[in-house]
Amino acid sequence: MILPLTYFVIFKYIPMTYIQVAFKKYTIIKSPWEMPWADNGGFEYFIKAFSNRDFLYALRNTIMLNLLDLVTGFPAPIMLALLLNELRIRWFKRVTQTIAYLPHFLSWIIIYGMAVQLLAPTSGLVNIVLNRMGIKSIPFLNDSTYWVGTYVFLGIWRDVGWNTIIYLAAITAINPELYEAASMDGAGRIKKMWHITLPGLRPTIVVLLILSLGRILGSEFDRPYALGNALVKDVSNVIATFVYTYGIRGLQFSLTTAVGMFQSVVCVIFLFIANGLAKRIGEQGIV
Amino acid sequence: MKKALPLLLCITLIALVLLSGCAQQEKKPGAITVEIYDRGNPGGSKPEDNFFTEFIKKGMLDTYNVQVTFKPVPRWTEVEVLNNLLAANEAPDICVTYSYPTILTYANMGGVLDMAPYLKKYKNKLPNLWKLLGDRNIYWDRDPKAGTVWCIEALLFNNMRNSVFVREDWLKKLNITEPTTLEEFEAMLVAFRDNAKTLLGSNADKMIPFSLSIDVGWRADPLSTSFVPDNISDKEMWINGFDDRRLLWPGIKEGFRVLNKWYNEGLIWKDFPLYSYSDTTEGNLQKAGYVGAYFGNWDLPYRDQENGIQANLKKLVGPDAAYIAIEPFKNDAGKYRKYLSAPIDRKVFFPATNKDPVSSLMYLEWLATLENRRFLQIGEEGVNHEKQADGSVKAIAATGDKIMNSPNNIDYTIIINGLDLGDQDLNIKSLALAYPGVDKSYLEKSYTIMKHDSRITPNFNVGDIKAEEGMGPALKEKRDTLLTKAVISKPDQFDAVYDAGMKDYLNSGGQAIIDERRAKYEEIFGK
Repeated sequence: MILPLTYFVIFKYIPMTYIQVAFKKYTIIKSPWEMPWADNGGFEYFIKAFSNRDFLYALRNTIMLNLLDLVTGFPAPIMLALLLNELRIRWFKRVTQTIAYLPHFLSWIIIYGMAVQLLAPTSGLVNIVLNRMGIKSIPFLNDSTYWVGTYVFLGIWRDVGWNTIIYLAAITAINPELYEAASMDGAGRIKKMWHITLPGLRPTIVVLLILSLGRILGSEFDRPYALGNALVKDVSNVIATFVYTYGIRGLQFSLTTAVGMFQSVVCVIFLFIANGLAKRIGEQGIV
Repeated sequence: MKKALPLLLCITLIALVLLSGCAQQEKKPGAITVEIYDRGNPGGSKPEDNFFTEFIKKGMLDTYNVQVTFKPVPRWTEVEVLNNLLAANEAPDICVTYSYPTILTYANMGGVLDMAPYLKKYKNKLPNLWKLLGDRNIYWDRDPKAGTVWCIEALLFNNMRNSVFVREDWLKKLNITEPTTLEEFEAMLVAFRDNAKTLLGSNADKMIPFSLSIDVGWRADPLSTSFVPDNISDKEMWINGFDDRRLLWPGIKEGFRVLNKWYNEGLIWKDFPLYSYSDTTEGNLQKAGYVGAYFGNWDLPYRDQENGIQANLKKLVGPDAAYIAIEPFKNDAGKYRKYLSAPIDRKVFFPATNKDPVSSLMYLEWLATLENRRFLQIGEEGVNHEKQADGSVKAIAATGDKIMNSPNNIDYTIIINGLDLGDQDLNIKSLALAYPGVDKSYLEKSYTIMKHDSRITPNFNVGDIKAEEGMGPALKEKRDTLLTKAVISKPDQFDAVYDAGMKDYLNSGGQAIIDERRAKYEEIFGK
């Protein structure tokens, strides 16, 4: 017990003291305790972030992309799990499942490379085929609106199989007698899916939904960074890429710590709200 | 006598102690760590441990009794890595970077050593350093008020920029003379496009008359700067010159309007915005022979020996295929103006953690000594180079431990970038021979063009510009976005897209930088 506790104290809690950099003027030669306080009662960098238009765009894009991911990406693995569960040929089910979760192991850089090969306006395979059929090229990667679609689609493609695993596991825990009883009562496949499988998955769905909502403002870095390009900056610039540009490359450590802290606080608030709602509708929640 | 004996013993003892102390002092060498770029070259040697590092280590130990240890830093993420090292107080004693803002940021935090007092005190011990760099480069960044020197600027010995390259064999095939005006250049691109079948046969659909990259500002330089009024003053050049792609210089926009026209007429590679800075796709298209023309570093097609553009072109297309440098864009005064950078290169600085700045300065002095830097630049005779009858030096590609990880070992000669044999005539002759396998006439042509009608951008030292701090990467991103979008917009939307992007650029910090620069300039140098 002492060992894991020490680990958490040293590697998780002691570094947390550096969060005060958000309220202080960062200096390389002093410890965070000795750094001078920032202006405006320490909130200088928060004010600076919120008066920076790039940050506001990044905030908007983060919420927009994550919401789209949630709306489209959240139900996808549930549906796939239901479909896979209906497959009767075992080897086919296994193969399908394996193929579906393989993309999860590809890095976003590789996925972008593949996307360019397939979707580039003149040299991409998809557009070449479309052109041969007499259809004009679709700007999958170089037009903001299409790019958002491509971004969301690639996200689903990469992770749907992987996220399915947890639902498939939950399905195996459903009592088979329920299905037998339903069959006796004359229920078909759809009825069984609707009245047994889905309610059986409900606790899992709720927990995963709470976790997803907790990440609504959290942003991954590699995906928007790898998939973005100069033409779609207005939608691809999210908080993580903002922090990278201004903080790590621009050396504005206080500013980006402030942004990171804001992001974490909002995420925690979302998590608690989602958890509270789950409890209210009679689920267990996670906290 | 009885009294004298203990006295004698005492004296002997003291003398022995003193002597041994001195001897120990002589034996104990100084020790410094030096940053070295790691380029991760396939087949290269370990940047911190090879034939050339041994040469430096031995030289420093023999000459100044200083032990040198090298610390590799990845070349392509140098700023990020250096940030981490500085923040962790683990930066090498001698650091090198291309980014002055990085140095300034840390200097303002107290993380960088002020070199001014040491340079002054030890000036007579640094004759070679002064001879090579002069007051100009050593005091390039000296603060006009405080007198602080956070770094010294390395010498950019071969000060070059972008040339215009076209396919020599295509010109011949289509019977077109080398374009000498913008109109002729455009007509040539149209001819490439319209004769794709003749030039590329079954690959006609792969024809790219003109190729470009995401770094539009840099790549468009020969065209865009030809629209800058020739009478632009040094003052305006400097005030509006903090973006090294000259985004804010007057007239530049018209250059991009031309690119926009070309793009919409199908003369420019359509997919260029999708590829990142380090992507090799464009280079591969050039190597495969699909690209008719482009602008790039004066020696770009001739670099990298058998992996280079010219070499691959000859291999894949045929012995006649070649890129040749031409000079087609005149400015309003009828000159083929090239605005070359200031003759500065990397910045060498000592972090505040440097405990031995004198030894570190002696390291720079050792590097500045002609015979030392010459050996580093050309290596061993018969292995790295061959002496020609006229005394010039022809580079040979070495293998194994004696391989150079960077051309002319620029990563080791951190105070000079570019071959310098100590004789200008030999330098030029050797430069043309520095590209094994490439006919030297190609290089001489590009070199001559580069120096024709050239003008060097000035330096006015006004001290820190606060508005520039931390803004570099963000503004650079905005510039690339604005230029890329403008080039690919519909012609009737070009002005709207360009102006909106420029407005965003200026509002996001660009204007503040211009204003501060103007105010400080006028404060020090007058109106």
